[in-house]
Amino acid sequence: MRHLFKQLITLLIVLFTIQAQAMNVVELKQENSNKVVFKIRFENGSIADPADKPGLTYATASMMAQGGAGGVSYADIQDKMHPWAASYFAAVGKQVTTFTFQVPVDFIDEFYPLVKSALLAPDFSEKDFTRVMKEQQNYVDQVVRASSDEDYSKYALEHQLFRGGNMQHLLQGTSASVKTISLDDIKAQYKKVFTNNNVTLGIAGNYSDALLNRLKADLAKLPDMPYTPAVPSKARQADGIEVEIIAKENAFGSAIFTGAPLGITRSDDEFAALMIANSWMGEHRKSYSRLYQKIRQTRSMNYGDYSYIEWYSAGGLNQLPPSGVPRSSSYWSIWIRPVQIASQLQTQYPELADVNIGHAHFALRMAIREFDLLIKNGMSKQDFLATKTFLGSYTKLYAQSPAQQLGWLMDSRFYGRTDYLAELDVLLKKTTLEQVNKAIKKHWQTDNMFVTIVTDESEAKPLADSLINNSPSPMSYSNLVKSGLPAEVLAEDDEVANFHLNIKKVTVVNSADTFD
Amino acid sequence: MKTIIKSAAMGLMLIASGSAFSADPTTAASDKILPYPIYQHKLANGLNVVTVPFDSPGLAAFHIITRVGARNEVEPGVTGFAHFFEHMMFRGTEKYSKEAYGAALKSTGAAANANTTQDRTAYHMTGNSDKLELMFDLESDRFMNLKYSEHDFKTEAGAVKGEYTKNFASPYSQINEKRSETAFTTHTYSHTTMGYFADIVDMPNQYEYSKLFFDRYYRPEYTTVLVVGDVTPEKVNALAKKYFGTWQRGSYESVVPVEPEQTETRYVHLQNGSIPAYFSMSFKGPAFSDSKIDMPALDVLSSIVFSNTSDLYKKLVIEEQKVRFIGGGAYDSRDPNLFTIQVSMVDKEDMPYVLSEIEKAIAKVKTEDVDAALLERTKSNLKYGFAMGIDTPGSIATSLSHYIQLTGDPESINRLYALYDKVTADDVKMVANQYFKADHLTIATISDDELGALQ
Repeated sequence: MRHLFKQLITLLIVLFTIQAQAMNVVELKQENSNKVVFKIRFENGSIADPADKPGLTYATASMMAQGGAGGVSYADIQDKMHPWAASYFAAVGKQVTTFTFQVPVDFIDEFYPLVKSALLAPDFSEKDFTRVMKEQQNYVDQVVRASSDEDYSKYALEHQLFRGGNMQHLLQGTSASVKTISLDDIKAQYKKVFTNNNVTLGIAGNYSDALLNRLKADLAKLPDMPYTPAVPSKARQADGIEVEIIAKENAFGSAIFTGAPLGITRSDDEFAALMIANSWMGEHRKSYSRLYQKIRQTRSMNYGDYSYIEWYSAGGLNQLPPSGVPRSSSYWSIWIRPVQIASQLQTQYPELADVNIGHAHFALRMAIREFDLLIKNGMSKQDFLATKTFLGSYTKLYAQSPAQQLGWLMDSRFYGRTDYLAELDVLLKKTTLEQVNKAIKKHWQTDNMFVTIVTDESEAKPLADSLINNSPSPMSYSNLVKSGLPAEVLAEDDEVANFHLNIKKVTVVNSADTFD
Repeated sequence: MKTIIKSAAMGLMLIASGSAFSADPTTAASDKILPYPIYQHKLANGLNVVTVPFDSPGLAAFHIITRVGARNEVEPGVTGFAHFFEHMMFRGTEKYSKEAYGAALKSTGAAANANTTQDRTAYHMTGNSDKLELMFDLESDRFMNLKYSEHDFKTEAGAVKGEYTKNFASPYSQINEKRSETAFTTHTYSHTTMGYFADIVDMPNQYEYSKLFFDRYYRPEYTTVLVVGDVTPEKVNALAKKYFGTWQRGSYESVVPVEPEQTETRYVHLQNGSIPAYFSMSFKGPAFSDSKIDMPALDVLSSIVFSNTSDLYKKLVIEEQKVRFIGGGAYDSRDPNLFTIQVSMVDKEDMPYVLSEIEKAIAKVKTEDVDAALLERTKSNLKYGFAMGIDTPGSIATSLSHYIQLTGDPESINRLYALYDKVTADDVKMVANQYFKADHLTIATISDDELGALQ
């Protein structure tokens, strides 16, 4: 651990925040690095979209990152960067948009003009516009529904949680709204929400002070419009458990996400306490967490089961939490990866030829019951200590590369912190079991939640009936698995199958009608 | 290249100061693409132990690469077994039950997981380098003494089915399965790493075979232990000897059937209107080699002809906007595999036109020299692209794992990049003619039509 502390101290020494011309600057100088990374962040995101133009900020950022700039065409920009293996891209979140630029230090002088042009002089040409918008239209029309049922259920859950507010819509907008976005809209949005009054400059790697000063001076030339960030809408409180089932043609399983509003974020010291409880219950992609053990490891129901107390991007791809997606309006959630549907079980096992529904109802009951038990009973001392120790090391893996380190530092500022990971280390050490159990009771409840299930058309109606009637949902194992299950597992199954969920509303939606 | 050389010098300084009694690295790093020396040490039982010290205070990446993958699934009815076995490796031993293994793993605070490809199964964890001995203890125990009940075996099969179920949502996964079984009739590359669904459903019945599988492949001669980060080769080698020294060498070698030469273009189609129309062209390509020019020349070719700086991309994606995405490249593998060009369409009606444009680009690269300056820019991109990507212990270890799976030797990475330097315009022309043959082509399509439009 000695080295880790040394690293943290070094980091603090090289870290500066400079207020210059109202511009926030986050620096991370690493003279041994072979590259320079810029992260230019604007406090806008999809909540800055006009009410009648969802997807406009995303379109604007895409045009800046995937279009010509400074009179140089997009194709020529790609050609210039190719021999350097340099790159840049935009990442739009709900509340921020971040442009990340990376270049080998050998080519920083040649690369810098491209950085400047992309930010200050995007061409916004008609040719780029038609290409970029076709892609965005395609995403909202097709890709979001067809690529991953897991992500689909996650976005659909957000659509329920934030219904009616500015956090509701997909970053890319809706099928109807994207069609209405014009090039003039994009030009106006650029001036309005990519300004020198809502920008944070992040720089890491092997850069000179002269370069930093040049960048600061150039960013001061961004549109000088007065800027007041939009206030993110809060997640809605469900009336009981409200379920939306999305019926899809030829789905192979039932993908489930469920969640409820959460009143704290990384800004709050209490977040560390809830983080310990959440890690024990459902640490992302960890086989020793409770949900994973119960649903996957013991019962063979799916590929994994996890829980979250903040937004987690691209969970299917990321093993560790990525930076760059900070939010001040939050919710907690449970991710149950696709479970079997009745039509599949019927064809796979003769002994299950008569099942009416698959495993979704049982899996949902099991996950919510585990939270219910934790809220009632709290964490044990042993689990608390093991999880606290785990997080003490694990969170140090979040920021390893220069780009990751810079991203986490910039997120720290969003939450009103200086170096969140270093501060979290201290908070975790100080957290007591009593604080954890108090946070669990204060922030988690299972009576009022939203649930989204993406499933096959054949499964939707029987599942909806089972849910709204709170019908018993006995686990339908194959004989191969059932024969070896210990008695205590089967006894617990009986309790789970009859566990009462406070379901008050179940709606079946056709896949084509989602996200409208 | 200045930066890479500078970094290499720093890497050497780190070694010199930290390990006065270390064995010599297998290469001096100064003129290599990897700017850090690679220390290799083979135990008497055949286990290869690789250490790459890297300036990551307090952190180390610990990888174990077993050179068994879907390629080795030569018997009928057991496709997907190498991947399934990856799952079983988390099911415990006599010393560490699955619960105890989980608790011990949690105590390391590491990010740990595993994955399987056609050619290998890789287990990896990145965490506190102070926990290196515990990592060795945990990993050696399960590699040498894995023991699971028949019930646990049957139960884990459900998780594999769950993995297939989540993947199946993507039509691209579905066409990938169809493309493999169309392009290959005999070689085991005909099935994906996940395996056929019927075999996955039947996995719970294969308990006895699983024990045979472990006995055959989880042996030191199939395995490399790789540690990158805040470590020394002396420490890693000593721990390897202590924890893996008694592992018994095996004797099994699977005979992978050779794919006969393809004699005509093959077609496969998936009717699915949920995504934009798509097609791929897969030519039979070479096996990976770090001594022949073929694969490096194909990598250079794929960048010049199919990347987002290619003429084809500029015309079809940027100018005409008939294509959403185009890309292509050869798949690195132990046996000859596919060079695949993939295209996502804006309008399915344009498929024949886009196909003809790709055919024209291929005809051109077969007959005309690629531009000399473009060739140099492409080589520069390959080198700097690599240098930009190796900034954590995990990313270095993942890069080296790739080459360990292919040849068993992490030095292949340095040899490959040395070969890139030697690729000439003639080499590019040669591999275009050698591998882009219509008789060796498989075309796969996705659209809402009942039949593929390109047949």
